[in-house]
Amino acid sequence: VVADAEKLKQTEKCCTSMFNTNRQKIMERTDILNQEWKTRRIQPVHIMTSVSSLRGTREVIPLKTLNAVASVPVMYSWSPLQQNFMVEDETVLHNIPYMGDEILDQDGTFIEELIKNYDGKVHGDRGETLSRTNSDASKKFPSDKIFEAISSMFPDKGSTEELKEKYKELTEQQLPGALPPECTPNIDGPNARSVQREQSLHSFHTLFCRRCFKYDCFLHPFHATPNTYKRKNLENLVDSKPCGIDCYMEYPAGVVAERAKTPSKRTVGRRRGRLPNSNSRPSTPTVSSETKDTDSDREGNSMFAEGNSRCQTPVKMKLSGEAEAADWSGAEASLFRVLIGTYYDNYCAIARLIGTKSCRQVYEFRVKESSIIARAPTEDEDTPPRKKKRKHRLWATHCRKIQLKKDGSSNHVYNYQPCDHPRQPCDSSCPCVTAQNFCEKFCQCSSECQNRFPGCRCKAQCNTKQCPCYLAVRECDPDLCLTCGAADHWDSKNVSCKNCSIQRGAKKHLLLAPSDVAGWGIFIKEPVQKNEFISEYCGEIISQDEADRRGKVYDKYMCSFLFNLNNDFVVDATRKGNKIRFANHSVNPNCYAKVMMVNGDHRIGIFAKRAIQTGEELFFDYRYSQADALKYVGIEREMEIA
Amino acid sequence: DQTIFVTGECGGTSGNSGHIMSGASCKANGAVYPASSAMMNSVKKPKMEQIQADHELFLQAFEKPTQIYRFLRTRNLIAPIFLHRTLTFMSHRNGRSNAKRYGMSDMFLFVTGFFFVALSSHLQLTFTGFFHKDEKPSQNSENEQNSVSLEVLLVKVCHKKRKDVSCPVKQVPTGKKQVPLNPDSNQTKPGSYPSLLVSSNEFEPSNSHMVKSYSLLFRVSRTGRRDTNGLVNGEANENIDVTDTPSRKKRSLSHREEGETTETYVAQMTVFDKNRRLQLLDGEYEVSMQGMEDSPVSKKRATWETILDGKRLPPFETFSQGPTLQFTLRWTGDASGKSTAPVAKPLATRNSDSSMQQQKKGTVKESVSTDIQTRKEQVPCEPRQKLRIFYQFLYNNNTRQQTEARDDLHCPWCTLNCSKLYSLLKHLKLSHSRFIFNYVPHPKGARIDVSINECYDGSYVGNPQDIHSQPGFAFSRNGPVKRTAVTHILVCRPKRTKPSLSEFLESDDGELEQQRTYVSGHNRLYFHSDSCMPLRPQEMEVDSEDERDPEWLREKTATQLDEFTDVNEGEKEVMKLWNLHVMKHGFIADNQMNQAIMLFVENRGAHIIRRNLCRNFLLHLVSMHDFNLVSTATIDRAMARLRQIQEELPDIEEDQQDQTLVSAAACNGNAVTSSGGKQGKRTKSALTD
Repeated sequence: VVADAEKLKQTEKCCTSMFNTNRQKIMERTDILNQEWKTRRIQPVHIMTSVSSLRGTREVIPLKTLNAVASVPVMYSWSPLQQNFMVEDETVLHNIPYMGDEILDQDGTFIEELIKNYDGKVHGDRGETLSRTNSDASKKFPSDKIFEAISSMFPDKGSTEELKEKYKELTEQQLPGALPPECTPNIDGPNARSVQREQSLHSFHTLFCRRCFKYDCFLHPFHATPNTYKRKNLENLVDSKPCGIDCYMEYPAGVVAERAKTPSKRTVGRRRGRLPNSNSRPSTPTVSSETKDTDSDREGNSMFAEGNSRCQTPVKMKLSGEAEAADWSGAEASLFRVLIGTYYDNYCAIARLIGTKSCRQVYEFRVKESSIIARAPTEDEDTPPRKKKRKHRLWATHCRKIQLKKDGSSNHVYNYQPCDHPRQPCDSSCPCVTAQNFCEKFCQCSSECQNRFPGCRCKAQCNTKQCPCYLAVRECDPDLCLTCGAADHWDSKNVSCKNCSIQRGAKKHLLLAPSDVAGWGIFIKEPVQKNEFISEYCGEIISQDEADRRGKVYDKYMCSFLFNLNNDFVVDATRKGNKIRFANHSVNPNCYAKVMMVNGDHRIGIFAKRAIQTGEELFFDYRYSQADALKYVGIEREMEIA
Repeated sequence: DQTIFVTGECGGTSGNSGHIMSGASCKANGAVYPASSAMMNSVKKPKMEQIQADHELFLQAFEKPTQIYRFLRTRNLIAPIFLHRTLTFMSHRNGRSNAKRYGMSDMFLFVTGFFFVALSSHLQLTFTGFFHKDEKPSQNSENEQNSVSLEVLLVKVCHKKRKDVSCPVKQVPTGKKQVPLNPDSNQTKPGSYPSLLVSSNEFEPSNSHMVKSYSLLFRVSRTGRRDTNGLVNGEANENIDVTDTPSRKKRSLSHREEGETTETYVAQMTVFDKNRRLQLLDGEYEVSMQGMEDSPVSKKRATWETILDGKRLPPFETFSQGPTLQFTLRWTGDASGKSTAPVAKPLATRNSDSSMQQQKKGTVKESVSTDIQTRKEQVPCEPRQKLRIFYQFLYNNNTRQQTEARDDLHCPWCTLNCSKLYSLLKHLKLSHSRFIFNYVPHPKGARIDVSINECYDGSYVGNPQDIHSQPGFAFSRNGPVKRTAVTHILVCRPKRTKPSLSEFLESDDGELEQQRTYVSGHNRLYFHSDSCMPLRPQEMEVDSEDERDPEWLREKTATQLDEFTDVNEGEKEVMKLWNLHVMKHGFIADNQMNQAIMLFVENRGAHIIRRNLCRNFLLHLVSMHDFNLVSTATIDRAMARLRQIQEELPDIEEDQQDQTLVSAAACNGNAVTSSGGKQGKRTKSALTD
């Protein structure tokens, strides 16, 4: 109990310090603001002349009247966003919504039902903190009985094993400066170790989102690793000219010997798809074996020893004395393995990039490591370069397919998820096909896949149904549509293609003011033409289930920012959003919403339904917020054909 | 009875915000309307009994907008925003532009010119009878007279002279007549009514005093049993101009005798008011008389209300209850000649309630009891071409309807005399846009289909200056500041099509024609969306709240990466830098990546070198290459540029040799302590499915 109390005190202390640091931060910001204010020319004007009562005469004081200021409508705080943000389902009710005492009194069952939606879990219940403090309590590793007891008392906190893991995690963190065992040491740090290529790049590979170009992006919870991406073309693999006097090319014998050897091995190397790579990938189950490996590395820091232990073929080429003098640090060795996987036999380039080794040293090291390094792939034999004619034909069939696809009776639009089924064509088993989505450039299938959307070849503005992208309610893909201008003029807003506004964020300047109708409203600064893009409706992307749960609260507040995105997800602009969230509903609106497929993501565009003048309030019809646009394409098309 | 739903947050899920009315009119409406709506209900009572459910629906649909328009009508009378005659489709109401100055239907213009015409005319009064309903003639027939004695006096109120304390009043008796009591209109022949003539000389200015106003005083004396009810009637007829009669000193006496009483009833009507405007036109009048002995109503206490047993009565109830005197008034050139004056017609500005009532009551022919004045005046109207207009109200999904008609071209909502069918329709359409009006030609005139406009746009279309104000910065300026630009329309000449009734026919395509405002612009005070602070004019041009990478998001991406326990500090730092770079520039295409990398090196290269992250950066590049996003050429170029930047940085270059140890240690040390505090919870391995 004493230990408990101590722990509680500690957490309290922690809280106070957190509060203080936060407070300090705020103070700093205020200071900055005040400084800025001082530098401005705006200064308070004196409104009162000083009254001297020495002579006892009545002084006249200018009187200024402060006009009453109309109060503004209620606004709950929200965070600005310009792109959707995916959040996980909340398993715990974060707070019990307060809607005034009257509502709670008259309808107490509402809160009960709400809590029931979350299996009775409300944030801030004491259970969690208790279990934590308990498990931290003693220094010695506690007996299993304690974990069992905790687990039986708080079954929702996990099983005995999980608690044990948690205990380990929490206690081991307390050792200062220690890195978690599964963490690769910093390659720029002093503790850099010589590790395999995959391990060096593991963080970058797993965290990078190929769709957002960001690490650990806000939108896509699962990222494909690059293992199965094929190289588009074989770029300058080998420099033809030696890079200097120390260049390995100055040793013709070795080069010839190496060159002769490589072709035979090449076929083995990378062709096998994921298999060799996934073996070496240090995913969770294989971590133990990997760490053992690297542990041995740590002991024998000398690279030669390591190299010897690893390579079956020991040093076979003793070239000259200077090679032995080269001392390879762990970082250098790791870097070498990384680069050899990209540059293959281009030792000059590798040496240039490593910076601290000559290409000859690199070459020698490569010879030592020859057994474990990857080989440059040959030309992709299974994917011959496209012929123009074939592309034409492909395009034509696709255009037909667009219509066929959308003619289907299904009214559902499903979220796109890149497909990944190696050595399997995109047939009826492909998730993209079953969800009636096109394969995108993010799919792992071949670029020749029949289910891929080919993009448009328009030379016009892509704002009619002549454009296959427009017809398929997609924005033009700058990597596919190369003629319409969607891939040009990144810096200017003058793009000839009018079908790429959402991705470019070419939104209009919107202004917030109390609405003429209800609450706040949003007003446009500049006039817009009919069908012009106004803004994207951004918010949190939540699952349909989560939307149901949140919707219950929003309905009670009579205020909802939920917007159906597709069958799987809903956009909720309550907590995060952009200014267009203030657009009100109208049955006679001046804007319309359209859910579009934008580079693999469904996004909601708000467009002008008619020409809108300066300063007009924007409205759209909430009722047609569904993925209607996507749904009805087929029907319209059918009529045209008939 | 009016609740206005201005909900706290914007629109939300509510489906009906489209026809929420504009705030201003609604609020005022709520305050004004209870009284009049009660009155309307009482009038409509008989109908409600018949088809109550149907009526409920009718009220539901039309009551609220009708009340709003009735309120606006009153407000426009008190404080007009514009004059109807200035509207193009009402141009015929404008007398000045027209040569036929005196033939106008515009009452006021007409009256100013009439005074001179009237001078040569005699005033002829023909009395139909004195009606007092609460007596039962059959019971008291043996000792009741069939007539009462009526004395008519012409009251001249003169201008004050210097000595006078109050305005001198002259009473000129014009004659006494016996008027039949409660005559049966079927029995009496029209020619036998007593008649009186007031000479035109009487209206000429007298020598001694300048006469300010003329009025007729009717005094009816009646002997008989005393009226035990003590019925009191206020002045009911609106023609009795209380305010304009400066002093009414008249006190009628009641002669009380033992068994018998003489009751005296008086009423006064203004002929010319102090502005010398003629108030009494040709027509049949029914004047409500007042028993004087009970309650001498002084001018001060005069009100417009009618009181019966403490209950509020609609003004026209007086006519069925109280004592009234009916007479016909004519202005004649000679004693027996024709009328020289035009016929009085219901004024747009008067009797508004009556026309409203009449409209609600049903067809005009049925409404015998109430609006006598209006009805009677239609008799001399007869020669005019009569146009019947049927209003057909569509409600409850267009299935039910209710037809109502009236014979003139007054707007039923604001009683404006539109004179022409086209003007009426145009007026209805433009001024009462809460309804949809469709014109349907009809053999007897016109049918107008009235339905509720579901798409009514209640947004503010008035003068922006009226609602525009800039709070918050009143005293915090020093020298000139930028002002908000406000658009004013000086002249607007929209393209006008030739007036044609066909424009009111129901359109087939169903496309609702939009009436947009001509004035557009930023006619309101805007607010910052993050702070709700007013937006100052100088802040208008920049959209301050549309950053692609708001601060919270930049912080979020950093903390999110910090949470990883199995990502080292070097990696984290490069990833953070790169993420911020991408967020700032918003790259969207694969083929932008080569460019993006080079830009990254340019912008962050020095930082990467200082923080000793070169190798991590190289790993990042290789990883990008693995994803097929950059070429090896880009890697080469980027690293070469990085070297170049490194050489340009002076202080780092010195300890080039041991930089790996020194600064790396610093970097590592930093990162470790910082990450140690953060206690990450996530692992990257959990991210791969």
